[in-house]
Amino acid sequence: MSARSRGTELDLSWISKIQVNQPAVLRRAEQIQARRTVKKEWQAAWLLKAVTFIDLTTLSGDDTPSNIQRLCYKAKYPIREDLLKALNMHDKDITTAAVCVYPARVCDAVKALKAAGCSIPVASVATGFPAGQTHLKTRLEEIRLAVEDGATEIDVVINRSLVLTGQWEGSDFIKTSTGKETVNATFPVAIVMLRAIRDFFWKTGNKVGFKPAGGIRSAKDSLAWLSLVKEELGDEWLKPELFRIGASTLLSDIERQIYHHVTGRYAAYHDLPMS
Amino acid sequence: MAATRAAPHAREIFTSLEYGPVPESHTCALAWLDTQDWCLGHYVNGKWLKPEHRDSVPCQDPTTGETLASCLQAQAEDVATAVEAARTAFKSWSAQPGVARGRHLTRLAKVIQKHQRLLWTLESLVTGRVVREVRDGDVQLAQQLLHYHAIQASTQEEALAGWEPMGVIGLILPPTFSFLEMMWRICPALAVGSTVVALVPPASPTPLLLAQLAGELGSFPGILNVISGPASLGPVLASQPAIQKVAFCGALEGGLRLLIQESVWDEVMRRLQERMGRLRSGRGLDGAVDMGTRGAAACDLAQRFVHEAQSQGAQVFQAGDVPPERPFYPPTLVFNLPPASPCAQAEVPWPVVVASPFRTAKEALAVANGTPRGGSASVWSERLGQALELGYGLRMGTVWINAHGLRDPSVPTGGCKESGCSWHGGPDGLYEYLRPSGTPTQVSCLSKNMNYDTFGLTVPSTLPAGPEIGPSPAPPYGLFVGGRFQAPGARSSRPIQDSSGNLHGYVAEGGAKDIRGAVEAAHQAAPGWAGQSPGARAGLLWALAAALERRKSTLASRLERQGVELKAAEAEVELSARRLRAWGARAQAQGHTLQVSGLRGPVLRLREPLGVLAVVCPDEWPLLAFVSLLAPALACGNTVVMVPSAACPLLALEVCQDIATLFPAGLANVVTGDQDHLTRCLALHQDVQALWYFGSAQGSQFVEWASAGNLKPVWVSRGCPRAWDQEAEGAGPELGLRAARTKALWLPMGD
Repeated sequence: MSARSRGTELDLSWISKIQVNQPAVLRRAEQIQARRTVKKEWQAAWLLKAVTFIDLTTLSGDDTPSNIQRLCYKAKYPIREDLLKALNMHDKDITTAAVCVYPARVCDAVKALKAAGCSIPVASVATGFPAGQTHLKTRLEEIRLAVEDGATEIDVVINRSLVLTGQWEGSDFIKTSTGKETVNATFPVAIVMLRAIRDFFWKTGNKVGFKPAGGIRSAKDSLAWLSLVKEELGDEWLKPELFRIGASTLLSDIERQIYHHVTGRYAAYHDLPMS
Repeated sequence: MAATRAAPHAREIFTSLEYGPVPESHTCALAWLDTQDWCLGHYVNGKWLKPEHRDSVPCQDPTTGETLASCLQAQAEDVATAVEAARTAFKSWSAQPGVARGRHLTRLAKVIQKHQRLLWTLESLVTGRVVREVRDGDVQLAQQLLHYHAIQASTQEEALAGWEPMGVIGLILPPTFSFLEMMWRICPALAVGSTVVALVPPASPTPLLLAQLAGELGSFPGILNVISGPASLGPVLASQPAIQKVAFCGALEGGLRLLIQESVWDEVMRRLQERMGRLRSGRGLDGAVDMGTRGAAACDLAQRFVHEAQSQGAQVFQAGDVPPERPFYPPTLVFNLPPASPCAQAEVPWPVVVASPFRTAKEALAVANGTPRGGSASVWSERLGQALELGYGLRMGTVWINAHGLRDPSVPTGGCKESGCSWHGGPDGLYEYLRPSGTPTQVSCLSKNMNYDTFGLTVPSTLPAGPEIGPSPAPPYGLFVGGRFQAPGARSSRPIQDSSGNLHGYVAEGGAKDIRGAVEAAHQAAPGWAGQSPGARAGLLWALAAALERRKSTLASRLERQGVELKAAEAEVELSARRLRAWGARAQAQGHTLQVSGLRGPVLRLREPLGVLAVVCPDEWPLLAFVSLLAPALACGNTVVMVPSAACPLLALEVCQDIATLFPAGLANVVTGDQDHLTRCLALHQDVQALWYFGSAQGSQFVEWASAGNLKPVWVSRGCPRAWDQEAEGAGPELGLRAARTKALWLPMGD
């Protein structure tokens, strides 16, 4: 994660001045998806790049050490070795950007990653995820415990009652949603958030990261997200320090697409290891 | 595992995250060209027409210069063949019930849907336009246009009762055009029962493909005929006797002017440049580019403009991912152009944007309206009140608020000023190809020996013509300009005789200077009158109606002296008063709201005044025709300069006495004199926004010729008398249609 944003004096007039032209945003969202496709080796390379942005996530009530371990192994070896070799990418050390788990599973994840001998960071959702409706005291304590267990990144659910009443908080990264809502990461919303990030950068020189999460399941979606960030913020945002995709099933679809690219065949379910 | 098809340089792309080519296969376009043996002719009467001994020009891929096919150039006899086919087809096509025509158009839409890949790859291949734009935009809209007009055709008998199709329409298309421009014009024409001969420039295969698709539907093969040939064939097509109307569209420039308020100038420029930097140009058939090419000529045009702008002191910003070689030209932003420099006035070529700052909205409006063009504009502002104020104030055919470039079949698209006065889409588009039932068909009666230089140039001198005798009091004298009777500049008069050959009275002999004064007075009154509520306009027309009734006996006796029987004379006065009242009522029912698909929010179809409308009245019905023309013009918010009946202008002058006391000065001006001379002065006046002429065929021809100078809308009678006492001809919807212009104001909404 980038050096902490230096922060700036909170100027709420910036926020109150913001105007969103919704129909124009919708049009722009459509355009980016339609105009920025990539094919063939470009698609393969972009997909591998997308892998390096994934916060490989499991946020289930029934997570246990065994499936966390499997997740961590998948984070370390996201794409089958022979496929990477075929693309001459086997020495690029392609891993996901992080694994993302509940606070109670941080310990398991850290242990599993250490066992796999890699330095993939562990991210933890915290602060009463996903609603955030717990006391400030327990929220802070939750963060502290997760960090103690070895989490190096914390996805904080902000207190939305404060936001809705105009009391904002600052952050290093902004995330579209928890992934647990009925509507999660959508392009129109993302455009508004990315423009806000750009404005903030223009005004203060601080780069804030962006993480869409929830509902990003297909390889094609992930490509659209990459080009969206590329178009709106530029290549400098296309690195794990500033861009993450929160997803659980996306990786397997990417692997299937890579398989198809390399072999010319569609993979059977059992051709690729599960995560 | 299957054989590896790995890419050699995924490693580099992984680091650079470049975009790659996304080529759209155009094999089907090539296969279609192959079916024609790489030689395209014309498509006439449901068959390919490939006459021998014709010149041919190559159709080239604008990106590579590679020759794709050769295209035969039509000659006059091919044009005649096509027109004959369309004329024959018109007989059966126009006789079909609307429902049957609607069904046929729907079938065409379905055929387009089935062959859309061929259509979009062919269009992109030969024009260099971005395939995604053609595929997601044009091809879809083409189908929507057909469906919309199919519905209009199905309800024609009820919705458009009293109108009939014109006949064979000649359509002339410019060198750079999208096939969609053709669709906007042929759909309404075919829907209402007209048939079409389209003359497309050399090397335009897409219209030929469309004609083939339409022709292969089987029934009605001759309704759409496409011939390709040089621009010099345009007059040949236009002068074919069977052609009832010629529609043409000019070359599309496509550059933009941007007016940015000073307070946000820096912010907007920064964002604009940022976004331009991300634009990608390339071969049109690449699915991931934003801009294609419009060929070498467009590239040269842009280059020349940018160089000139630079030499005139402008700054230039160019960016984007653009292939370095011709015919690609980068998106270009020109700014700091001195306002008085020639480039600041010139038309901006594609892909150039000229940005200039303004201080107040009022200033922006003045700049935007200060050009001869009046096609479309968009207003971007978060202040709704201000945006609407500008939207209403812009003299444009289409205005988008916080959006740009939206189009829909149900929304009329057109323009004003030199952007032309014809309409496509919506109800307005249908009327372009209709005429009131019973109107005599237009015979091509252009006189070859018409001398435009001398028509109406001089006024025959007039001398005293004996004593003024008769029962009626002395008629009012003078030109009615700016709210009062004035002496003519020439200080001479012309005698008006009554039906028995005696002198009825003298009227002032108006001339060029008087016309100038009258147009000026009308312009001064125009903003005030256009700003009046319809209710206020109606009030004034009703007041004039009452005044006419009070003056009934004088008016009737003057009509009697012109040989009208007393009963009929009184009836004419009464009918005139009724006309004023009727138009007063109609003034209050103008414009409406449209709802289009794919857009939340309304589109307002506004009916706006034309501005200063000049009317040359017919000889017949000296009172009724005058009033029947004055009333719709005023009801729609125009100010007028009228030339009353040459045979008896005295009736109009009588009415002017009431106008003087009731109306604001300059609203209605009446200039008497030699009709040909005054017609000449009005037709050649560049600041008259529209001209109605009811007179000789020769005068009509002159009016059309002279008005081409500023493309003002004209309405001419070609020497055919009208039944002014009949409802359809004297007060029908045609007058209302012609007395105002449409503006489409798009108001997308969103939270």
